[in-house]
Amino acid sequence: MLKKRMFSAATALVLIMSLLAGCSGGDQKNTANNSAGGEADSGKKDKVELSLWLTPQWKGVLDASEPNADYDSFFKEAADKFSKQYDKYDVKVNVQVIAGDQRDEMLNVNLNGGTPPDIFFESVFAMGDYVHRGALEPLDDLVDDTAKADIDQKYWDNVTFGDNVYFYPFAHNPGTLAYNADMFKAAGLDNYIGDANEIQTWSLDEYNNILKTLKEKLPKGSYPMGLYALNNQGDTWNLAYLRMFGNKFFDDERNIILDDENGLKAAQWLKDVYSQGYTNPGAESVSSNDANAMFQNQQLAVSFTNAVLFNNAKADMEAGKAPKFDIRLANIPSASGNPLSFTYVVGACVFKTGNDVKTQVAKDFVKFFSSDSELVKSSKNSIPVRSSVADQFKDQYPLFTAYDANSANLFNFTGNVPGYSELRQVLYPELQAIYIGEKTPEQAIKDYQSKGNTIIQQAKESSIIYSK
Amino acid sequence: MAHTKEKKQREKYDILSNSIIIFFAVLNLFPLYWLFTSSLKNSSDVIKMPPDWWPRTFTFSNYTDVFNSQPALRWTLNSIYVAGLSTILVVIASSMAAYAFSKLNFFGKNALFIIFISSLMVPKEVMIVPLFRITQDLGMVNTLSGMVWPNVATAFGVFLLKGFFDSAPDALREAARIDGAGEIRTFLQILLPIIKPGIGALFILNFVQVWNDYLWQLVIGQDKNVKTLMVGIATLMQDLNPNFAYKMAGATVAAIPMLLIFLLFQQYFTRGIAIGAVKE
Repeated sequence: MLKKRMFSAATALVLIMSLLAGCSGGDQKNTANNSAGGEADSGKKDKVELSLWLTPQWKGVLDASEPNADYDSFFKEAADKFSKQYDKYDVKVNVQVIAGDQRDEMLNVNLNGGTPPDIFFESVFAMGDYVHRGALEPLDDLVDDTAKADIDQKYWDNVTFGDNVYFYPFAHNPGTLAYNADMFKAAGLDNYIGDANEIQTWSLDEYNNILKTLKEKLPKGSYPMGLYALNNQGDTWNLAYLRMFGNKFFDDERNIILDDENGLKAAQWLKDVYSQGYTNPGAESVSSNDANAMFQNQQLAVSFTNAVLFNNAKADMEAGKAPKFDIRLANIPSASGNPLSFTYVVGACVFKTGNDVKTQVAKDFVKFFSSDSELVKSSKNSIPVRSSVADQFKDQYPLFTAYDANSANLFNFTGNVPGYSELRQVLYPELQAIYIGEKTPEQAIKDYQSKGNTIIQQAKESSIIYSK
Repeated sequence: MAHTKEKKQREKYDILSNSIIIFFAVLNLFPLYWLFTSSLKNSSDVIKMPPDWWPRTFTFSNYTDVFNSQPALRWTLNSIYVAGLSTILVVIASSMAAYAFSKLNFFGKNALFIIFISSLMVPKEVMIVPLFRITQDLGMVNTLSGMVWPNVATAFGVFLLKGFFDSAPDALREAARIDGAGEIRTFLQILLPIIKPGIGALFILNFVQVWNDYLWQLVIGQDKNVKTLMVGIATLMQDLNPNFAYKMAGATVAAIPMLLIFLLFQQYFTRGIAIGAVKE
């Protein structure tokens, strides 16, 4: 009986101590979080505490080979450097890495709770809806002539909504095709192989011929091109294919105008390459991740890629983690002969928090790490938006020049339209309908345009950009 | 003769039904098998086609990578703390409330119980913003307490345990009261031991529910060191590292504690699911 009572008492004690420990941690944390713009100590600067969130971009400050390199290394280093030289406030930056698929849940709850992060570093296309919702601060006051001269206007267009700049471009991640040069050689397609440090451009006729030859020459179980429509992941390449015949996709009012002769030709092309067996089978149930894995496993000769995926694939091969082959880059071809080129611009935005001091410090910090001559070098982990950085590293990374040359053909795949994330949800079901024969390409294009424009129209009504 | 024929038919039926059950059991277990064996392969072997059904070479480096590159041990301890403490508190609160609803008579008891149970129909996602604001006002964002306390009052626990208290004869309570036991002693020493199976079922069901409560733990645990295992491992899945075996190892780490819990407490788990299936 005594033992039982002692056990009960001990359990109760542990329980109470656990609760106290948990609660006290919370209080301490809360105090720290609310210290922004806090009281000044005598002779000391006021304290300002910022929160910066980012999705995984690159590891390390300058390079992933650094000891303890992690996704937050760069921003911790930048915060340290910033607080040492910043004379207005004593600044502390809390950096948090969140997964891409956690982003919207985290932001929505925190926005509704009145505690958005001060700064978010992410691909612009994923954050455009927050501009339209009025959650972000314009950053025009941060853009000076030096930055304008160093960063191509195409990137500024990408981060401009209405009349204002909402993201400070840091790096970009261009989307292209990747091809297996070994498979091309085996199929006798040596003439179509470009230089290892270039992005090869094929005309649409050439590309069709490549697919046809690969279909004839590749061993069973391998396919010429990767095609997928399981979900919205990697849908930017599908959007690019739909522009292949010159369709502009959005009109000046930012409505979808895919339902025309060129849009239909593109949808028909997708249907044709699929039904002729030029792609992997079951595109309706294949994801972009599956396609990427098939390409790495040499089951696809041509697939989608971006700068980060391409570098990762090469690094994996070098490390013996994936089958080694000669991987090279090509542009998405078009009927006009000009390559179709798009990129994911990555940069920082500042959320409206209602605290003027924090907003100003957040803006100063964004400008600091996006323009400091040493820190901007980290953009070489993707592709630098700054010509000065691209020039510095062009010998070490010869593809920078090729990507830079492509910037002339960039199209803005989101059109910066409101409701873009919802818009993504209506494309892949229509592509699935084409591939399984449920709809003709013509009907699918019509339905996509109709559903898409409804989404855009509804989003425009609540957009601060369109209600101005 | 007829008996032997019937016996043979029954045996045939048993063989058929067992074969079907075994087939579906294997089918259900296959994803776990594939997850575990893939985590022991090299990344290139995971995406190999045709696949290796059994790893040709075993490597544990994916597991060491998960624990070295991420605070996975901390996440595991956080999950155990949050799920364990929430469940203990749920059992305490629910058993007391269920006892009151079942055995005590007070004004508006039935109406109150209906209101209480009605909250089961409101999904947690609907309440997440107001709950977040309250948690924020209490200074519990970014703490494990913030993940524990909002889970403590559950209508489900009260509903479950009330059923067990209802099945315990009122005569027991009356006898205890006649013998001089107070309400607390009657509750703790007479009726609580009788509903042990119900407490076991609630413990395991609630533990699993809190362990897998992704959304709430995601919005509350924002710092890396305050994340729970499920949220932390989900972050790992977004890692740009294309090493699939590494991600499989992360998923295995997340699955193992739950599998162990299920194996250890499966009798309570199945009993919890079966509650209400039979009306006596």
